[in-house]
Amino acid sequence: MEQSENMQSRSCGRRVAGRRYVALAVGVGVLLAGCAKNAPQDTFQPAGSNARKIDGLQRELFYISGVVGVIVFAFVGYAVWKFKDRGQEIPEQTHGNPKLEILLTILPAVILAVVAVPSIAAVFELDKKDNDCVINVTGQQWWWEYDYVQGSTCGGVEITKSIVTSSELVIPADVDVLLRITSRDVIHSYWIPRLNGKRDAVPGRLHTLRMQADQPGIYTGQCTEFCGLSHARMRQAAVALNKADFQTWVTNQTADYVAPEAGTLAATGEGTFQAQCSKCHQVNDLKTADGTPVLAAPDLYVVSGVAPNLTKLMTRTAFAGWTFDLISAECRDKLWNAPPDEFGALYLQGVTPECFDEANLRTWLRNAPAMKPMYADPAKLAATGGKTRGMPNLNLTENQIDELIAYLLERK
Amino acid sequence: MAIIERPSLAPAVIGDEVASPPALVTPTAAMGVFKRPVSTTGWKSWVFTVDHKKLGIMYGAVALFFFLVGGAEALLIRLQLAAPDNTVLSADLYNQMFTMHATTMVFLFVMPMAAAFANYFIPLQIGARDVAFPRINAVGFWLFLFGGLFLNSAWFLGGAADGGWFMYSPNSSPLFSPSHGIDFWLLGLQITGIASLVGAMNLIVTILNMRAPGMSLMRMPVFTWMQLVTQFLLLFAMPVITVALFLLGFQRNFGAAFFDVDKGADPLLWQHLFWIFGHPEVYIIILPSFGIISEVLPTFARKPLFGYKFVVFSGAAIGFIGWGVWAHHMFASGLGPVSVAVFSAATMLVAIPTGVKICNWTLTLWGGKLWFTTAMNFAIGVIVLFTIGGLSGVTHASAPADTQQTDTYHIVAHFHYVIVGGAVMGLFAGFYYWWPKMFGKMLSERMGKWNFWLMFFGVNLTFAPMHILGMQGQPRRMVVWPSKLTGEGFFNLGFWNKVATLGSFTIALGVLLFVINIIITTKKGAKAPLDPWDARTLEWLTASPPKEHNFDSIPTVHALDEFFHRKYEEVDTADGARLVKVKTGEEVLAIEEAAGDAHIHLPSPSYWPIVLALSFPVIAYGIIFNRMLSVVGAGILVIALFGWVLEPSVADDSDYDPPAEGSGPTKELASIG
Amino acid sequence: MADITIHKSDAVQVEAAGHDEHGHNDHGPGGAHVTATGLSNNKMAMWLFLGSECLLFGGLISTYMLYRGRQGSGPGPAQVFDIPLTSVSSFILLMSSLTMVLAVNAAKRLDDKNTRLWLMATALLGALFVGGQVYEFTAFYQEGLGFTTSLFSSSFFTLTGFHGVHVTLGVVMLIALAAIIGRGRITGDKAEVVEIVGLYWHFVDVVWVVIFTLVYLIPA
Repeated sequence: MEQSENMQSRSCGRRVAGRRYVALAVGVGVLLAGCAKNAPQDTFQPAGSNARKIDGLQRELFYISGVVGVIVFAFVGYAVWKFKDRGQEIPEQTHGNPKLEILLTILPAVILAVVAVPSIAAVFELDKKDNDCVINVTGQQWWWEYDYVQGSTCGGVEITKSIVTSSELVIPADVDVLLRITSRDVIHSYWIPRLNGKRDAVPGRLHTLRMQADQPGIYTGQCTEFCGLSHARMRQAAVALNKADFQTWVTNQTADYVAPEAGTLAATGEGTFQAQCSKCHQVNDLKTADGTPVLAAPDLYVVSGVAPNLTKLMTRTAFAGWTFDLISAECRDKLWNAPPDEFGALYLQGVTPECFDEANLRTWLRNAPAMKPMYADPAKLAATGGKTRGMPNLNLTENQIDELIAYLLERK
Repeated sequence: MAIIERPSLAPAVIGDEVASPPALVTPTAAMGVFKRPVSTTGWKSWVFTVDHKKLGIMYGAVALFFFLVGGAEALLIRLQLAAPDNTVLSADLYNQMFTMHATTMVFLFVMPMAAAFANYFIPLQIGARDVAFPRINAVGFWLFLFGGLFLNSAWFLGGAADGGWFMYSPNSSPLFSPSHGIDFWLLGLQITGIASLVGAMNLIVTILNMRAPGMSLMRMPVFTWMQLVTQFLLLFAMPVITVALFLLGFQRNFGAAFFDVDKGADPLLWQHLFWIFGHPEVYIIILPSFGIISEVLPTFARKPLFGYKFVVFSGAAIGFIGWGVWAHHMFASGLGPVSVAVFSAATMLVAIPTGVKICNWTLTLWGGKLWFTTAMNFAIGVIVLFTIGGLSGVTHASAPADTQQTDTYHIVAHFHYVIVGGAVMGLFAGFYYWWPKMFGKMLSERMGKWNFWLMFFGVNLTFAPMHILGMQGQPRRMVVWPSKLTGEGFFNLGFWNKVATLGSFTIALGVLLFVINIIITTKKGAKAPLDPWDARTLEWLTASPPKEHNFDSIPTVHALDEFFHRKYEEVDTADGARLVKVKTGEEVLAIEEAAGDAHIHLPSPSYWPIVLALSFPVIAYGIIFNRMLSVVGAGILVIALFGWVLEPSVADDSDYDPPAEGSGPTKELASIG
Repeated sequence: MADITIHKSDAVQVEAAGHDEHGHNDHGPGGAHVTATGLSNNKMAMWLFLGSECLLFGGLISTYMLYRGRQGSGPGPAQVFDIPLTSVSSFILLMSSLTMVLAVNAAKRLDDKNTRLWLMATALLGALFVGGQVYEFTAFYQEGLGFTTSLFSSSFFTLTGFHGVHVTLGVVMLIALAAIIGRGRITGDKAEVVEIVGLYWHFVDVVWVVIFTLVYLIPA
């Protein structure tokens, strides 16, 4: 629609008797509206009930606006052509026509009333809270954390143990999920365009957002409230799985910790992880050699007070605010384009050695703030009392990086 | 040449109960610390001027400069977004760039440019010789200039503000934005805010009190009317943003708790305060431009504005309803369904008076005798582009739809159609329409047409694709967009981002042509007659450029479009009554001048406005860098205030020229060399 | 441009330019004030300014009302407010409105001596009020209520502080006005100048009535 409006405006401005062009433009516009392919965040391609409701409203508004636009431009274009100075006399100095004016005031009022009623109904409908699954969503600079509360059920699947994950929100397909959204630092906004509109994550406030996906699949999104330096690199995705796959996912997420086999590179990596990463990043049930549980204390080092939980890092397809892929572009395309009935199995494989895109993770471990600006420069942390916002450069050696990658690859 | 007010020789005010007439206050007796400045040439005649026309020109020149600055920022932004994962700007610099682009365009270009036209043309349109408070007028200009320079000096002193022009808390707290950029922003806007506030008081009093005899409110030109509404909006909107800026400033500089979430603060407080100001601000931006095209369209259609009363009342209605819709900027903020529903409905209500205006402009063209000058082209461009912006606005008046569209490029497209397509194109209509009056030179129409078409296509090329980008899910304020989300097919982000960048340079080319047009025609343009467009309102009943005192005699107004009716009369012919031009503008002016007033008072120039204005940035730098400097600034402020108050209201007697001989029976020269 | 310009005031003054607030208004031979609305420029400007000020205090009062219950671990309104003391200072401020009215009356009678007397009395009462506020702030501070303590304290000090600054500026204006009248420096309508300062003073007074009621009398 917007495309057609644009074309109309040009033809009118050109003082052509623009009606033919307008008709053409509308035709082309309608034709093209169905043309967006593989557009992962197209709001005109809803994939769930909430987004579909909005899409219906939105299309109606675009059509009405388009028609009104065409009429206005036709009038302006005609007037411009018809009343051009061709030597006619100075027109009569009339000051208007009150009856016509009143009509022209009432007409838009009626149109708007027609639009307003379903809009307002939709506002209340989208605010309902009759859901079968509740997930806590917390934003911080510059990633999202998801918390599945222990003891709750989600679409009939019991959450036996608290699941804390990040970036990829995994939900059961065809189930009404309610996200309880808040923030730990500044305002963020949670948005998965194909599933619902956005809702701000405001520190100190709890907002809710409904999520429902018809089919298994991956639906991408983005933080949409400006949240500082790396706002552009705060992304997220919702992954919908059918009930059986979702059960498998939950079981895996709540499974016990498996230590790397002794003597492997990964086992060395466990030690390196404890020395270098565990200050901030939690791996559940990780213990030191003498059996002491390793507990991360990110609140001492990071402004927001948290860092992503890495227990099951390799069940996710991207990291660092869902900005950098863990899997190769080829595997990603395969996953994103998988038909709904094959999607779950593919996703549950996690990051396989064949698909693993080592380069991203390696560059990240070498110098994270160089990849994603994060106010990690110690010289500039006076205002935060030395705490960083995001991951600082840990100055790891190449050997340490090798060990960490080997260790992390097993976190799935 | 300044014309200096000579004091009254008669006793000042006396009511009925005069006990004894107070002693006559003569210039020498009233002489305070300084004499009034008297220069009529050179830089002093500009720096100390209180003439509304000179101030208007200075407002315009400075605003144009900031327009080029803001435009350069826009081009950098578009360059950065031309390709995925681009590296023209760093994230930090990009955040500063879009914050300052918006701030500059809104506060340092559109508002002061509208103020430039208001200053210059309101007194002319209502038949006055100056504004009500000339010195306050001057202080307003200097505050705007110094505030704007102060704001932009942040670029060279550790980085500009990086929180977005909406500066949402808590992202604007020192914890999250440790540089001084936001402090510069806060204090700079406070300074320009004072300028807007005193300007609003001045112009309202001018419009209400200084109209020529016979100019009832319903005979006022529409531009003056829209400015009146705008100034009332400013009067009531500025204090709200002032409060918000104070709260944030106290938090950043003195540790107040207002937006400290750990202490229980509600970040939505800032949003409410900001948008209670921010939404009326939208109308502050657009209404002057509506006023300009409501002058331009009738002039070049050769018929009165269709439904003058409806246009005036719908303007007032927009101003009124504009106060009840602020929360539509917050549909995704989590206000709760009831508030959202109410504000959604109220927002749709605004579309009605806006629609009325579009209809009236179109019907003004209807049945006219259209003369397509550059000014007319821009005015028709406004109708078309603003309609697109208005209609895309309706698509997010519906709150559920807005939760998809807000903070995406769809919104960027919407408000740029409104602001660039509506406000800026309207200001350009004003440039081309009023330039001959302001400078006595015609701008080149040929270059003007190129300027128009480049801008018109440029706006569509830049902002129409943004509708697509937004609906495809590209959010605003992002330094990069990733290639993996571009999509394929006709609506892929990559292609349309490139088109938008191309468009932005097309607009820039148009603006460049305007600047070239000014330079060339200033050097060797045709001299403008006093009424080149066969116009309708009083500002054309003056010389080009107008004399310093505007009117030799204050015209008496008999009708709307007074000037037109003095030129045209109905003449009976064989074919019935016809409108015939019976007098030229020059002839009408000659008749007026023959009956010129013998006694004209004009305000004297003053040293104090610029000194007073200068104290504010000094205080502001002091707050940021060293409080002692603030004390110095406060000292200057106090001195300036006392100088202002104690300044004699006229120049020294000896500054007057002796009466000239032979300059007419009732005239006497008193100009100062 | 060199053909006209004269500066006497015995002409018919329709729209003479450039009165600034410093005086020099346009008074025709009969002393009539000619503006399109009949209200003088200066007075209208003051009314507009006060209209704008309503929104300023509106914003500050709203902020306070939102935050007055959020005292955190610091002292709250119930602990620190000394209602009898503030009532006395409120009464003093109210009385100053009365003396201001007397000053305006005297000015209308062209009675310079009494005008100055009542202006100074008003200024004195205003200064007493400000003194009370300074005392109150000091006491609060000693009870542990600093500017940065809590949302309640920040918004309380900001709201009442802004009002206090308004009163202080008013006191300065009153004293300056009395001095200028004493030196015969007012070139315009003296009674109106006094009246305009009076408008400001009454406004500040009325705002205090609202603040006193909302902040002190109605419990959170």
